[in-house]
Amino acid sequence: MQNQTRYQPKPLFLERMKNLLGRDFDDYINILKKEPVRSLRCNTIKISPDELKERLENKGWKIKIPFGDFPEIIIVENELQPGELGRALEHMLGYYYIQEIASMLPPLILNPKPDEKILDLCASPGSKTTQTAARMKNSGLIIANEVKFGRIKILASNLERCGVMNAIITKRDGIALCRRFKEQNFLFDKILLDAPCSGEGTIRSTPRTLEMWNIKTIENLSKLQKSLIASAIEILKPNGELVYSTCTHAPEENEEIIDFALKNFNIKVEKINLPIKTRQGITEFGEKEYSEDVKYSCRVYPQLADTEGFFIAKIRKVK
Amino acid sequence: MIPLKFLSKNEKEKLTAQLEKQFGIKEIPWEIAKLGKERIIVFSGEISEKEIFEFDRFARIEGIGLYFAKIDERTGDIRLSIEGAHLLKSQITKNIFELDEKQAEQWMLGQELNISTGKRGFLIMKYKDDFLGTGKASENKISNFVPKGRRLKYRENKIEE
Repeated sequence: MQNQTRYQPKPLFLERMKNLLGRDFDDYINILKKEPVRSLRCNTIKISPDELKERLENKGWKIKIPFGDFPEIIIVENELQPGELGRALEHMLGYYYIQEIASMLPPLILNPKPDEKILDLCASPGSKTTQTAARMKNSGLIIANEVKFGRIKILASNLERCGVMNAIITKRDGIALCRRFKEQNFLFDKILLDAPCSGEGTIRSTPRTLEMWNIKTIENLSKLQKSLIASAIEILKPNGELVYSTCTHAPEENEEIIDFALKNFNIKVEKINLPIKTRQGITEFGEKEYSEDVKYSCRVYPQLADTEGFFIAKIRKVK
Repeated sequence: MIPLKFLSKNEKEKLTAQLEKQFGIKEIPWEIAKLGKERIIVFSGEISEKEIFEFDRFARIEGIGLYFAKIDERTGDIRLSIEGAHLLKSQITKNIFELDEKQAEQWMLGQELNISTGKRGFLIMKYKDDFLGTGKASENKISNFVPKGRRLKYRENKIEE
């Protein structure tokens, strides 16, 4: 058991999760004790899933492709040495990206097309940017923005390793960047807003999140996320789509943000289909009530499909 | 302002001619630009050059396209990056050095290879179907240009010493 030995969850966190999960709470706690699944994404810019599967099997790895519609999603079922996934030649050559399955879902919902203009507002380390570029077959245009200097390098390095040719990297505060785009009337077909969050969904791989967790951070992040989504909606083309995601369960960072967008902009929340079991968005938490359409968003809980936790919603700007 | 200059038709032809001379490459089907003094990038994004510079004024571009090659300022020879070699692998017919398994591992560890190839200048390093960038052959060795971030960090157990 690698998790929760050094870091104990705070009582308020447990209480909130109990309220969210009800009778699933014990399953949730149990899955946190289980080693995360070793998943990776075939980088189809460089190699086909079949070729990669064959190469990895020749290394002695036991490979599973869990979703027929998405053969790029790969699970390595056998035990590996620590760090072996990251040290393999195939990784160094950009044939795959080590990525948690839940983190692969937002670009699937964004469904980028080769001729589109797409903004990835909080792009580093680049897992979703590289996935988006692969789905666009390296055409169209991606603007990959990251505000933190230290994270730009890793973003650039991952885009290079994966052979991404259709991207421009910018380093601006997301809200300021959107303002400049709006002033220039530079609008996007689609926007991915994988917002900075409290990371409650990553406890399996990063148990230290439990130590850093506090409600004040969630409240502050919620304000930032509202500003980010408001800024992003302004630069969507009419009928354009925005996928909002976080790797946290806190409703203040999830449904509350979508509710805020619904109440302040001419948008609609669209139903989404994911290849794994999920729960719909909630419409009340504590004393707060959210718009009914918030239920079209998806909660990805670790105990449902043996993944990390995530939240995903798709909104469309009404013409 | 980003030090980016897209190559004109003539400049692109000149670069392609040099790549043909060195490696047999006849065509580069993307926009090519010089970034700074030496770095060559390829860019497939659908945005005009004029728009890129307008965009840079308000959004401050930190990076664009894919690092593809470097031009040796002294000789004018071109050194393809790992990505450049991978992108054009179907066209590369000349100056390929086929590595064996042990050499491929040494190469990806960032080590120079103490080998006499009988050639001088840039060689494309290839292991089975993988193109591993470019080395520079001199009398008794091939110098390694694999960037630190792309190097293997250990020896695989299966490789025999």
